[in-house]
Amino acid sequence: MSTLEAHPVSAGEKPLAAPRRLRWPRLTLAEAFSFLFLLLLIAGAIFADRIPGLVRPNFPYGDFSRPPEWSINGLFGTDGLGRSIFSRILHGARATLTIVGIATLISLGFGLLLGMLAGYYRGIIERFVDLFANTVAALPPILVILALLTATGPSVTTMTLALGFLEIGTYARIAKGGVISQYDRDYILAARALGASDARILLREILPNLMPTLAALVPPLMAGLIITEGSLSFLGYGIAPPAPSWGGMIADSTDLLSRFPLLIFGPILTIVCTVFALNTVGDYLSRRIDRREKQL
Amino acid sequence: MRSAGSTYLRAAGTRLLAGIPVFVLVTFAATALSDLMPGSAAQTILGENATLEQIAALNAEYGYDRPAVIRYLDWLGGLARGDLGYTLFSRQPVAELLVNRAAVTFEIALLAMLVSLLLAIPLAMVSAARAGGLVDSTLSAVTSFLLSIPTFVSVVVLSYVFSIVLRWLPATGWVSPFVDPLGNLMFVALPVLSLSVHQSAYFFRVARSQFAATLQEDFVLVARAKGLSTSYIMLRHALRPSLPQVLTVLGLSMTFLLGGSFIVESYFAVPGIGWTVLNAVKNHDLPVVQAILSLTVVIFVVVFILVDLGYALIDPRVQAT
Repeated sequence: MSTLEAHPVSAGEKPLAAPRRLRWPRLTLAEAFSFLFLLLLIAGAIFADRIPGLVRPNFPYGDFSRPPEWSINGLFGTDGLGRSIFSRILHGARATLTIVGIATLISLGFGLLLGMLAGYYRGIIERFVDLFANTVAALPPILVILALLTATGPSVTTMTLALGFLEIGTYARIAKGGVISQYDRDYILAARALGASDARILLREILPNLMPTLAALVPPLMAGLIITEGSLSFLGYGIAPPAPSWGGMIADSTDLLSRFPLLIFGPILTIVCTVFALNTVGDYLSRRIDRREKQL
Repeated sequence: MRSAGSTYLRAAGTRLLAGIPVFVLVTFAATALSDLMPGSAAQTILGENATLEQIAALNAEYGYDRPAVIRYLDWLGGLARGDLGYTLFSRQPVAELLVNRAAVTFEIALLAMLVSLLLAIPLAMVSAARAGGLVDSTLSAVTSFLLSIPTFVSVVVLSYVFSIVLRWLPATGWVSPFVDPLGNLMFVALPVLSLSVHQSAYFFRVARSQFAATLQEDFVLVARAKGLSTSYIMLRHALRPSLPQVLTVLGLSMTFLLGGSFIVESYFAVPGIGWTVLNAVKNHDLPVVQAILSLTVVIFVVVFILVDLGYALIDPRVQAT
């Protein structure tokens, strides 16, 4: 059954009645890899300072541009200044995940708030949310952030806040749609008949029903943020060197590309796997929702 | 029967109306950008060593000491006359600069779209014709891998393969197609390919699921019952009804391509919009940034109006009026 479900086309078959409401579909190989990779990446980012034997990211650890070797510091080789690429990847992961995490919290928080109010009360606030979402959708995020940086100068804080701000519209639109689709259901009517306040209906009745959709949406949007942050760092407007960043490392190694092509392998592998893993986890979570919808 | 056509036209009109507040919001925010500068805008732009006279001259011309609303009304007035002001340092008319640079970015974006469609649509047809088959599952795995490759990675990898290892294509540079059409194609190839990696995978996904959905329709069942071949059904029956969805995605991908142009143009030293913005950011050249933000919004609105008109073209229920 699980092999069939990997292909949405053959989704005509009826799933067996599940005893529990939120059963987790079986993991495919790619999905298991994705979860494992993300766990390792997050752990590596958190404990980057404490991994025994791992040198600091800005420490000139050996000869410059050494090819990968079988040791913890030399796993992906050393960069043009002799720093350990593996250590820089983990510390870069810390920076990237912090920026993307904060940006996601900002956009999720404000997006949910605005979207739920817009879906529940409609009227002027819905107009406002739509206008905001349409405006942001019309502009490539890189352009907006670069425009902001023209005024403020390169700044990680500006970038983080702007990344969060620009994604508010996306979450707001999804939350709005979710509230509108739940609004007429019987359980809302029942809650209202029992005298529940608007706040209670929104927070205790509707919000839990929006969660699965949002959970499936967060990972791919985070992947998008990682790409935007990486692009800005690649262009030299994101995380400023010598602080390690994935985009910056890729930009650095392009100078040495003709002589030491292996050194770009580590950062590229990491960012591609991260984006792949986040997208795959998102697909898995939305597969779970599809399955649940069919059971209802 | 007329109703379908007028629906699409009305949708295009609504888009235009909905685009106006978006345009106002973005262009006003772009004007107000200089207020975000720490301290006086003119001082920041000219740097620490600027004299009071230089600052006064800059303020007199660009009005950075006046409120944003006044500057915005000025800018709107200029826009009505086709005058977007002058760039801060090279003293070129912004409008002229923009037209030249936009042409370059458009050439690359449109070619990337074309290449991606030519790759994606046939593969999507083959894939959907045998959903769940070997070709289908291989292609869907390849697609999810390609979709995970950011533009700044594909740029590096492709230029390594094609200009360092194989030496087939020039690594950087640009020739106008009007000067040397063949040389232009050589310079355009790597930027276009880099953008097409993600784009073709994206188009493939959308087109494949759309074809698969169309193949479930009753009229396809009838065609199969008549004994028509799968390839004939694909081309003559399933292609056209599947196109609207692809068209929508084409419109959406415009934002992606413009965003990608920053990476591609800076890496391959192509003098397009992205390259211009990056230089403007370095020089605090606000008039240029403002004009490009406005242009982007206009492009977005126009593309979506074209998409609406495209529906009218594809949909056979529409009569020409």
